[in-house]
This record gives sequence, C-alpha cells and structure tokens, in this order.
Amino acid sequence: MQIEIDEIAKSFGSTTALHPVSLSIPSGALVALLGPSGSGKTTLLRILGGLEYPTSGRVCFDGQDATGLSVQDRRAGFVFQSYALFRHMTVFENIAYGLKARPRASRPPKAEIARRVTRLLQLIQLPEIGPRYPTQLSGGQRQRVALARALAIEPRMLLLDEPFGALDAKVRKELRQGLRDIHDETGLTTVFVTHDQDEAMELADLVVVMSGSQAGGRIEQVGRPQDIRARPATPFVRDFITA
Amino acid sequence: MTARPLFQRSPMPGFGLSMGVTLTMLSLVVLLPIGALLMKGAAFGPAGIWDTVNRPRVWAALFLSFRLSLFAALFNLVFGTLLAWVLVRYRFPGRRLLDAAVDLPFALPTAVAGIALTALYAPNGAFGSLAKEIGWKIAYSQWGIFLALVFVGLPFVTRTVQPVVEEIDREVEEASATLGAGRLTTITRIILPMLAPAALTGFALALARAVGEYGSVIFIAGNIPLVTEIAPLLIVIQLEEFNYDAAAAIGIAMLLISFAMLLVINLIQIWSRRRIGHV
Amino acid sequence: MSDTAPFPIRPARFRNPTEETPLVRRLAILAAVLGLALLVFAPLLVVFAEALAKGWLAAVTSLASRDALSAIKLTLLIAAISVPLNAAFGIAAAWAITKFDFRGKAFLITLIDLPFSVSPVVAGLCIVLMFGTNSLLGGWLVAQGFPVVFALPGIVLATMFVTFPFVARELIPVMIEQGRAEEEAALTLGASGWRVFRTVTLPNIRWALLYGVLLCNARAMGEFGAVAVVSGKIRGQTATMPITIEMLYNEYLSVAAFSMAALLTCLALITLLLKTALERRHADQLSAAHRH
Repeated sequence: MQIEIDEIAKSFGSTTALHPVSLSIPSGALVALLGPSGSGKTTLLRILGGLEYPTSGRVCFDGQDATGLSVQDRRAGFVFQSYALFRHMTVFENIAYGLKARPRASRPPKAEIARRVTRLLQLIQLPEIGPRYPTQLSGGQRQRVALARALAIEPRMLLLDEPFGALDAKVRKELRQGLRDIHDETGLTTVFVTHDQDEAMELADLVVVMSGSQAGGRIEQVGRPQDIRARPATPFVRDFITA
Repeated sequence: MTARPLFQRSPMPGFGLSMGVTLTMLSLVVLLPIGALLMKGAAFGPAGIWDTVNRPRVWAALFLSFRLSLFAALFNLVFGTLLAWVLVRYRFPGRRLLDAAVDLPFALPTAVAGIALTALYAPNGAFGSLAKEIGWKIAYSQWGIFLALVFVGLPFVTRTVQPVVEEIDREVEEASATLGAGRLTTITRIILPMLAPAALTGFALALARAVGEYGSVIFIAGNIPLVTEIAPLLIVIQLEEFNYDAAAAIGIAMLLISFAMLLVINLIQIWSRRRIGHV
Repeated sequence: MSDTAPFPIRPARFRNPTEETPLVRRLAILAAVLGLALLVFAPLLVVFAEALAKGWLAAVTSLASRDALSAIKLTLLIAAISVPLNAAFGIAAAWAITKFDFRGKAFLITLIDLPFSVSPVVAGLCIVLMFGTNSLLGGWLVAQGFPVVFALPGIVLATMFVTFPFVARELIPVMIEQGRAEEEAALTLGASGWRVFRTVTLPNIRWALLYGVLLCNARAMGEFGAVAVVSGKIRGQTATMPITIEMLYNEYLSVAAFSMAALLTCLALITLLLKTALERRHADQLSAAHRH
C-alpha cells in the first residue's frame, strides 16, 4: 500500500513535535525513519498508525484520505518498542487476539484462527512456543511474537517503533535479517523507527533522516542508503551518519 | 533440598533483643489470647462447638454476616475498581479530595460511622426519609447492614487496584487498539484481567473485614434475632449473659472463617504471581 | 496481502485510543462522586450537623461533663500506653525480620498480620477468656488486686491486639527496600549497635514510622468492638470515647453522642490530612503501596 504524508504537523500543548513534513512511501517499500531522539520520528509513526491525530495535514493511503480513520479500522500492524505483549495471555492467545476481537460477522472460525496462528508461529520460526506466557520468553522471542501478533490481523502496512532497541547486539543482527525476510515474503509496506544509522542503512530500501529542534522535528533527507551515504544533503545528515 | 540453617550468622547486632521483644509481645498480646480461645474450643470439642453453632439463631447470624459481607464486598469490588480507575486516569476538579476521602473509613472510628450512617438513613434521616417515600427502608433492615459493610470495606479494593492501574503500560492498550479491538473489548479483555488479581485481593480483604465488623453495624442494623442480628453481636450478647462457652464456640466458628479467607487471599496472590509474574 | 476495498473512513472526531469517550468518562466520574458523597461526605457532615443541632453551647457543655471528660482522658491514656508499645514492637519486629535471615520468617510475618483478619469482637473475647475472673490466670490476678478484664489493662490489651500490625507492616517493606548496606558500613566504621540504629536506621525510617504510628493511633483511639467486650462499660471508669458514644446514643442523648463523635471525627480528619501530607512530601521514604 502506498502512503502519502502531506504537510503533517503535530504539537503537544506548547511543544512542537513535528514541523510540517511531507513524505511519499511507495507500496511495498521497507522504510527507516532515522534520527536522534526528539526528531519526531516516533510521533510520525504513531500518526501513521492512528495512535495520534496530527495538528494539521493529511495522511493518505492508496490515494484516499485516512487522516480521521480510527486506529481500529486502520489495520496497521504496529510493533511497540516495549512489545506490549499481553502478559495474562499465552503466546497463542496474544497472536489470536486481533482475530478474536473482530466483530462476529468477519471473525474467522476457531479452527481457521488456530491454523493462522500456527502458520505465523512457523513464520517467526518459533513453532513450539504457543502455550507459553510472555514472561517465559527471551527478549528476541518476545519481539518476534509481537511481530507475529501484528501480522495476524492481515495488516495493510507494518509499523515498528525501535523494533530492536531493547535487544543485545547478537540477537539484533539475527532479527534484522528476520524482519527483512518477513518483509520480502509478505510484500507489506513497512516503516520502522530507529536511532541507529547502521540498522537503517543495512535494512531499509529507503531512509528518511530526521532532525529535531525547538521548532519541531523535520525531514532532512529522503533517499536510498547508498545515496545518503554518498551525497548527504545537509550538514546535519553528514554529521549524523558519520557519527 | 538441603536443609537451610535455622539462623544465618550475621554481623548485624541486636538479633537476640529484637527477636526477644518481637516474640514476647506477639505471644502476650496476640498468640496467648487466641490460644485461650482455641483451648476453650478444644475443651468442649468439635461436637460441643457444633451443638452451640447448630441453632437457628446462631446459623441465621453467621449466614447473615457472611451473606451481607459477600454482597458488600462484591459491591466494593465493582465500585472500588471504578473508583481506582477514575482517580488514576481522569483529571477533574476535586480529584485529590476524593482520593483522600477514600481512606476515611480507615480513619473514622466505627462507632462514629455507625451513628452517622444511622442518622442519615433512618426513616427520619435526610436520605432515609426520601427512601421511605418510595417504601424503601434502609436503616434497621438488612439494607442498613449492607450499607455499613460497604462503608468499612470501601478503601480495600481501591487501594489495592490503584497502584496497578498506575502501572499499566499505555502501549498495551494501544496494541489492543491497533489489533482492531474497540475500547470496550480492550477494557474487558485486557485491562480487567490485568486488574483482576489486585481487585480479588482487595475483595478478600474487604470481605474479611466485613465478616468481623461490629461497631458500624450494630447501630444501623436494628438487631432483630434471625433477621438483622450479625454474628459478632451474638458473641457480645452471650458474653453479657456470662455465657462464655457459647461465646467461645461462635468465636471459633468465626475464627475458622477468617483463617479460611486468609488462606484464600494467599492462594490468590500465589496464583497471580505465578501467572503474571507479579501481584 | 493487497486489499483494494475502499477504507471505511470515519469522519467523526478522532479519539485517543487509550481513553474512554467523554460521555463514559463523565458518567464514571459522576458515579464516583455520587458514591463517595452518599457514603463518606454525607456521614461526615451529619456528624457535625447533629452535634450542633442545638447550638455550640449545648455541644460544648455536653463535652465538659464529668463523664465525657473522663472518657476523653481514658482514651488519651490508652493511646498513650498502647501506641508507643506497638511502635516499639513494630521497630523490633521490623529489625529482626529485615536485618537477619532465619527460617520461618514468612510464618512470623503471617502471625504478626493475624490481628487484621480477626474480628475485633473475637479479639475481645480472647482476652476475656484468658484474663476473665473465671479463667485460671484471671482469677489469680484478681486475687492479687490486679484485675485485667473490665479494667484499664484489658482495654489496653484489646487496643494493642487490634492495632498490633500497623507499625511493623509499614516498616518492613521500607526496611527491606533500604537494605542492610548502610548499617553494615556504619558497623565497619566502628559504631556500636545502638549507635547504628539511632544514627543510621532511625533517620531512614522516621517518616514510615510516623505514618504507621499515625494510623495506629487513629485506630487505637477509635476502637470499639474489642473494647466494648472487655471494658464492662462502667461510666466514668472504663468507658472510652467510642463506648461513651454508644451509651449516650442508646439513651437518646443525640447532641452529646454526636458531639463526642465530632471530636473523634476531627481526629480522623487530622489523621487523613497528615497522612496525605506524608504521602506527598515523603513518598520516597514510605512503603511503595502509599506512593501516589
């Protein structure tokens, strides 16, 4: 699905989180929002997911205005920084949650839900952990379960907030490849937020470099990793990617 | 399992003194008196206790105490959870006053609460007269007992649930929403299950408190045998008639109920710790 | 997984997904306010209204009567004996439990908490059975001229029973959280045990101690059920303030009963005020349950 961000701005009270930004994300792309803290990258992701409402501007999905679309109707698979797994549910129940929460008319039958959950557990290469509780999993396993849970609702796009932030270096490397594989397999338009330029450069097709200031976050440069490396558009980008 | 030593040597001073004071006072104030009651019970045996308890008036009192305590605790389970939610999540003028007011039943002497509630809800009281208009008798009926027991149990659920509401990770609620769940589904499927262990603990505490409550109830109850006579009052009546054996038998029955509830509270906590990794 | 179906665009105002609708919120607040108004605020007001029903003079006069003054004195005396004793117990128990490792610690804590789950009336009953004139010990004590039941010692014991866990319960979590490192450091510097307690431990636990003492005192002065059983309700001798309220109320002396009740209500309000102030100012030094 193609995403169009049109002059989106966001302020919380007197502080401005996002200066008006515009961005076009082609269908099926794997995009990194890269920037230091305070650059508004998470705010932008949350606006895409419907968790925040922009102060001004529009978001369009496949050419249609989706700014006022409620989070429930948006069908954006969202992976949270803390993973936000439901602690009182097993892994199986976590993944099945989005399907069971559907209105009765569009809810798949039980057997179908079980089949889909099993398939997703295979996709994240953890076929055995269905009956376990989140507290019994390692950090990397939790992240993958969060990803499977987001995929279960057959999302139109995948949004990930610092997906590897809480993991150690070795697991991080493995999971990067895992995300790449899942993206290639599903073909979903995927946007992830990171402050780690290696991660952005290695994983994404398209990198959006953002910077923060008193006037709010803004987009410094959008481009393929190799282009950004070769031709940083502003001094900020040059400093940030060589840091 | 290797046997742990009874006591691990420590460089910290004062074990003998502090433990001595602790055990001496605990024994004098709590354990010996409870022991006296249990001894009395042992003296006339299970059959003797049964003979005393197995009388219509005693059964009625025990059943009444337990039933109304259960209703009051259930009411507090719902109202206390709502209160905890409102106090933590919403911002409105007077919130802090409301928050402080929740503790009043802990601080207000039960006798004061008893006469105040009676003055309000008696047929000639401010609220009681309004209720009378629609034929509803609150004070001097089981409604009055229920009201007093709701009052004394009010803080328990709120105060156990409040810290858990504060700790709820907003991202968990957002996750539920991004997965398509409406607010009502998120509340019933995600939030309430997370609050359940704390709410149940508060419920059990409120129940235990209500079963033993005396001061706030006797003024408003009317104290009619078989109808509005609670179990603790029956003990007092037996004592006033110097009928120590009967008083002890009823006391033991109540003690057993208390212990059973204490056990349930602990089981709830163990269960929730195992399932969710915290209380 | 492409989907060409048009989005169901909701033109309605965007809602924060972690909030209830304004209507639900208002209804919930209304229910909370209404519930507390009916259960807490109205009874509070009615105490003062009834006390002043016949004017200030009647209220003050009733409190100045000989029996009323004696009840006030007795209640103060009971609190002055039982609260410091329970505070001393609380400190000793918390020290033993948090500074040492021994078997049966959990059981000891359960025993200390026991009075919270025993009905006050049953507590009084236990004391009557142990020290009453027809018990072995009680009979002997009466023969020695030291009656416990229907006298001051019994009332103090009953009060201590029901308030027993308050201070210990407050101190134990705080002292567990603070650990033993500071005391151990002081010991290595050559301080004596008492000195460590006075100069290191006590300053760290003083607010938690005050908190526990505050609640213990409120309950001690207001205890009714346990005291009612052991006091014998002798006017001018073993009638505490709550017992006097009952006697006056049963004699239909409404102004006098509610005046005494108003006095205890003031005590409760002051307790709440101090408790709230402690929770605001010294939250970091109270047990985690009281931080909000």
